[in-house]
Amino acid sequence: MLQLSSLPAGPASRVDVLRWPVLGRFLRWRHARRTVQTALLAVAVVVVGHGFSGPDLAPQNLGTVLTWVHYRGLLIVALLAAGNLFCLGCPFILVRDAARRLHAPRRAWPRALRSKWTAVALLVLVLFAYELFDLWARPAGTAWLVVGYFAAAVAIDLVFTGAGFCKYVCPIGQFNFAASTISPLEIRVREPSTCQSCATVDCIRGRREPGRPEVVTRRGCELHLFLPSKTGNLDCTFCLDCVQACPHDNIALAARAPGAELTDDGPRSSIGRPSRRTDLAALAVVFTFGALLNAFAMTSPVHALERWLAAQLGTTSEVLVLAIVFVVALAAAPLVLLGGASLLTARTTPAAERPTAATTFRRFAAALLPLGFALWLSHYAFHLLTGVLTIVPVAQSAARDVLGWAVLGGPWWTWVGMRPGSVLPLQLGVVVLGAFGSMAVAYAIAGREHPAAAARAALPWAAVILLIAGVSMWVFLQPMEMRGTSLAG
Amino acid sequence: MHVRLAQPSRGERGLTARRARTPLLILLGPFLAAGVGTACTRTAPPADDVRVEWRVTPSPAQVGPATLRLFLIGADGAPAAGARLAIEGHMTHPGMAPVTADVRETDPGVYEAALRFTMAGDWVLVLDGALADGRRLRRQLAISGVGAAP
Repeated sequence: MLQLSSLPAGPASRVDVLRWPVLGRFLRWRHARRTVQTALLAVAVVVVGHGFSGPDLAPQNLGTVLTWVHYRGLLIVALLAAGNLFCLGCPFILVRDAARRLHAPRRAWPRALRSKWTAVALLVLVLFAYELFDLWARPAGTAWLVVGYFAAAVAIDLVFTGAGFCKYVCPIGQFNFAASTISPLEIRVREPSTCQSCATVDCIRGRREPGRPEVVTRRGCELHLFLPSKTGNLDCTFCLDCVQACPHDNIALAARAPGAELTDDGPRSSIGRPSRRTDLAALAVVFTFGALLNAFAMTSPVHALERWLAAQLGTTSEVLVLAIVFVVALAAAPLVLLGGASLLTARTTPAAERPTAATTFRRFAAALLPLGFALWLSHYAFHLLTGVLTIVPVAQSAARDVLGWAVLGGPWWTWVGMRPGSVLPLQLGVVVLGAFGSMAVAYAIAGREHPAAAARAALPWAAVILLIAGVSMWVFLQPMEMRGTSLAG
Repeated sequence: MHVRLAQPSRGERGLTARRARTPLLILLGPFLAAGVGTACTRTAPPADDVRVEWRVTPSPAQVGPATLRLFLIGADGAPAAGARLAIEGHMTHPGMAPVTADVRETDPGVYEAALRFTMAGDWVLVLDGALADGRRLRRQLAISGVGAAP
């Protein structure tokens, strides 16, 4: 029997989705994940196929419409309403699993790469490529991006055991992990005392065939999250492998207070203490400032800024101008704002006990996540709400092109969605909520780290949060101008 | 606490050809779609011998009402009169509301459409219709940088 010295604290939730009559039964079904993955694989095939063979006009192509309107929007809405559902249904992993039946990996993920730095860099790269190549306007470019994801997942996970692609590489995954810290559902142990008496730890080792321990009948957590000491949603793909593996049916998909995990700095399985992880702090920064940048890039002022920069530098190089914008938005501005806040907060502590600015930054970075989530939600939900019905005429058009007749009728190109003006109040309201959430988390962290001067310690972070919120509201009020970033004319 | 994770067993490494069929299909699915898609990719449209020239007023284009004037010129240099055409205007970003307009012939081979650009940015106007002799005419007219309303 194993002695488990640390079990997650906190009240047990009375809401367990896995106990719900229909949905719970479905999620506990051993083929649930495969079913969802297969559905999303079909969508991915359509995205790739139509992306390459359909109209090269993005609003008329299923590849771009499904990806940049519906997938992005439903992703963030699902994270808000439930949790990391799109990692649960990830088609890249379905294909990877199929590949592993032909060739099993043998190597462990390199120790030197067991951090989020690679994934953070790739997330920045994807955001950069999105702007540089106007992927939103390029069906073939979108299709190549999807094919690239499949290829990367297969290539990496055919070499390395576990879910190295998910945990250390996938940009979408890291986005989902960061956002799911705000989600209302969490995979966790149902009854901690049951784990105390568990000798087989199937949740992480997998369930073994009786008498043949080398044969795994139900896979354990590939991201190495040991359920009794798992806290929160970081690194959890909602794959439900632990649910399938646990012989005691002791795992719940439990309700929780959104964002509560952001104030918990206890050691977490496979993660350690979040406040000691500079890479996680960097992920929070990219997640939040990247949201602001991504929205800003669709407005009129950014094109004026880029033209001004190009004129100042005497260049027509989009790469150079865009790189400068990215460095300012994702490095320089955070360094100044968050570095300044960290210095000021650290000074609220007497000199003898004063933490460094870097330590303070790591402790407080999680406070950015509620506002970052709100910014992504505002942006992606805008496109979803204003364009949700466009899937109808695009599908009608695609069916007509493939079959030669309008089997689905139409296309009804006037079917679009809500008017942009109607969505704006929702966007602004979401930003306000996100700002409040971030300030609440900052205050809670300040109470934990600077109990004698919590309000003073939180004040610099509140100021930064309000500044980001104010700028983002200004961005959402700007006229949209969806342009390619060509500086040539 | 250290938990040792088992390595894949011998039984997990490789399958008979029959059991490999399903995983192979799943594995290859997205890449087949890519291959078929690129093979079926838009080839260049059939060479239409009708030349389409166009102007938008006001110029440069900006948010609000605009007039598109089209000049259709046949292979023989004569105006291509009698075409029945329609215009769909799309922003380059998916999910944005398109605009549509009928095209009327004001002079032989000269056509006009009244549009309304609803948002600043890059637009593509899709001209679609039929010539007088029944041949299909389809063109995409790129209008970059429609400015914000004055």
